[in-house]
Amino acid sequence: MNDRETAVVDAATVDALARLLGYPPLDAETAARIAAGASNAVAAVRATATVPLFDAEPGNYLAELERLAGPGP
Amino acid sequence: MIDPARATLGEAAAALARGELTSEALTRTCLERAHRLNPTLNCFLRIEDEAALAAARRADAARASGHPLGVLHGVPIAVKDMFYDPARETSSGSEIRRGFRGAATATALARLKAAGAIVLGALNMTEFALGPTGHNPFYGACHNPWNPLHIAGGSSSGSGAAVAARIAFGTLGSDTGGSIRLPAAANGILGIKPTYGRVPRTGAMPLSWSIDHVGPLARTAADLARLLGVVAGHDPADPSSSRRAVPDYEAGLDRGVAGLRLGVPRNFFFDDVEPAVGRALEAALAALAGAGARRVAVRVPAAEHLTELGRTVVYTEAAALHGHWLRTRPQDYSPQVRARVATGVAIPAAAYAEALQLRALLLRRFCDEVFGDCDVLVTPALAIEVPTLAATDVGGSASMWSTIARLLQCVAPFNFLGVPALSLPVGFTPAGLPVGLQLVGRPFAEATLLGVAAAYQRLTDWHERLPPVG
Repeated sequence: MNDRETAVVDAATVDALARLLGYPPLDAETAARIAAGASNAVAAVRATATVPLFDAEPGNYLAELERLAGPGP
Repeated sequence: MIDPARATLGEAAAALARGELTSEALTRTCLERAHRLNPTLNCFLRIEDEAALAAARRADAARASGHPLGVLHGVPIAVKDMFYDPARETSSGSEIRRGFRGAATATALARLKAAGAIVLGALNMTEFALGPTGHNPFYGACHNPWNPLHIAGGSSSGSGAAVAARIAFGTLGSDTGGSIRLPAAANGILGIKPTYGRVPRTGAMPLSWSIDHVGPLARTAADLARLLGVVAGHDPADPSSSRRAVPDYEAGLDRGVAGLRLGVPRNFFFDDVEPAVGRALEAALAALAGAGARRVAVRVPAAEHLTELGRTVVYTEAAALHGHWLRTRPQDYSPQVRARVATGVAIPAAAYAEALQLRALLLRRFCDEVFGDCDVLVTPALAIEVPTLAATDVGGSASMWSTIARLLQCVAPFNFLGVPALSLPVGFTPAGLPVGLQLVGRPFAEATLLGVAAAYQRLTDWHERLPPVG
């Protein structure tokens, strides 16, 4: 994976968001790495969110783990 | 007198219980070994001689007065330097938390101590548990006991190396993207990332509250089962910990694998396995088949996206946890860790929320599609030969993401799903570097994974081999 090939968010946007949160300015290299990492992460969400999630409640996750547990040894 | 360099945790505990040696004597031997090997391995950040010997003497006194403490009575262990203990520093492998003392003892650590374990010291780790190689610019890299030029894996680097080097009988680590299983694989030992919620995270340094897991590392399946049995179970202080009863993990270790269906993925996990690694994995599967296990092909849904979905959550939560320091002390992070924790600033909040919504849905799909056809999923733990420290010393450079991705390819997907996953040592490459097979189960099926590991260790002797150091 090469940073420049995969980044959708550009380094300038990353730097602007970082400033919005009160971070000191990022150097161009760091901003490029962040842009690549964030772009890849969000692309995975886009690729897998292929059905409506209108009724999906994240707080049910632990209960779902317990429900899916097998009967045990 | 047992030989601490060869004895398992279970053998050491039994010898102590029989009065064949004292905990003080055993602890002294382990401390001597730690001091002798640490200049080569750098697996300890602090070796705590006085505290360990004092605890060992208390354990001996308790035994002499007829008050056994528990299943780890007098056994020397060590913990990754991220489990809080008011009595000592917890640096989290970072410059920022150098000298920090937690307000209360981490639940997992407290349970180990209550079971009688003796803590030898604090183990090296990647800065803030974020990195798969074991490099650490503030405390120095941890080295692999099988070849110190190679990585010990991360982020629980010292936890892997200290067990492999026979310094500690077991260790405690954490796993947010493979940080227990990768060091286990790299060091030729076992490590388990339990089901999310199985082991409380209370008092463990947080990296991502939704994805962090705490678990043990050890040399045999029986030792791992004992340690997991001690640290698992609900903690009212951790609302994400499960109330589900903890089974007796040691009781089911001899059930064997006859009739067990081992699912071998036909997608993603075996796509780029290096030949030397692949041969060891195939031999392990053949050994299990020889013991009666049945090999079936399965497809893992959304496999290529699971790691990045996890990162969407981890980096967003890490950016929140580190926000204050990213504003006020950015110079005190290494370039790689700073870039990784700051990645959360560029992930839209909606993407984070969607990833969390997707988690239960993808978990359901994974269990339906994979465990409909098999009982245990098997994958490589590390698809490549354990690399050198030099080759992976990429810092925050342009090859940072690709290096991380290659190392975490097979382990990180299961952090997002939250299912249990265990790395089992299954041999060595011709260069003498360990190979790990990963066993993945249904939620809360830790006992099944431990049973497979125990069956494999009855068939092989990889776990009895000693590394060349020491």
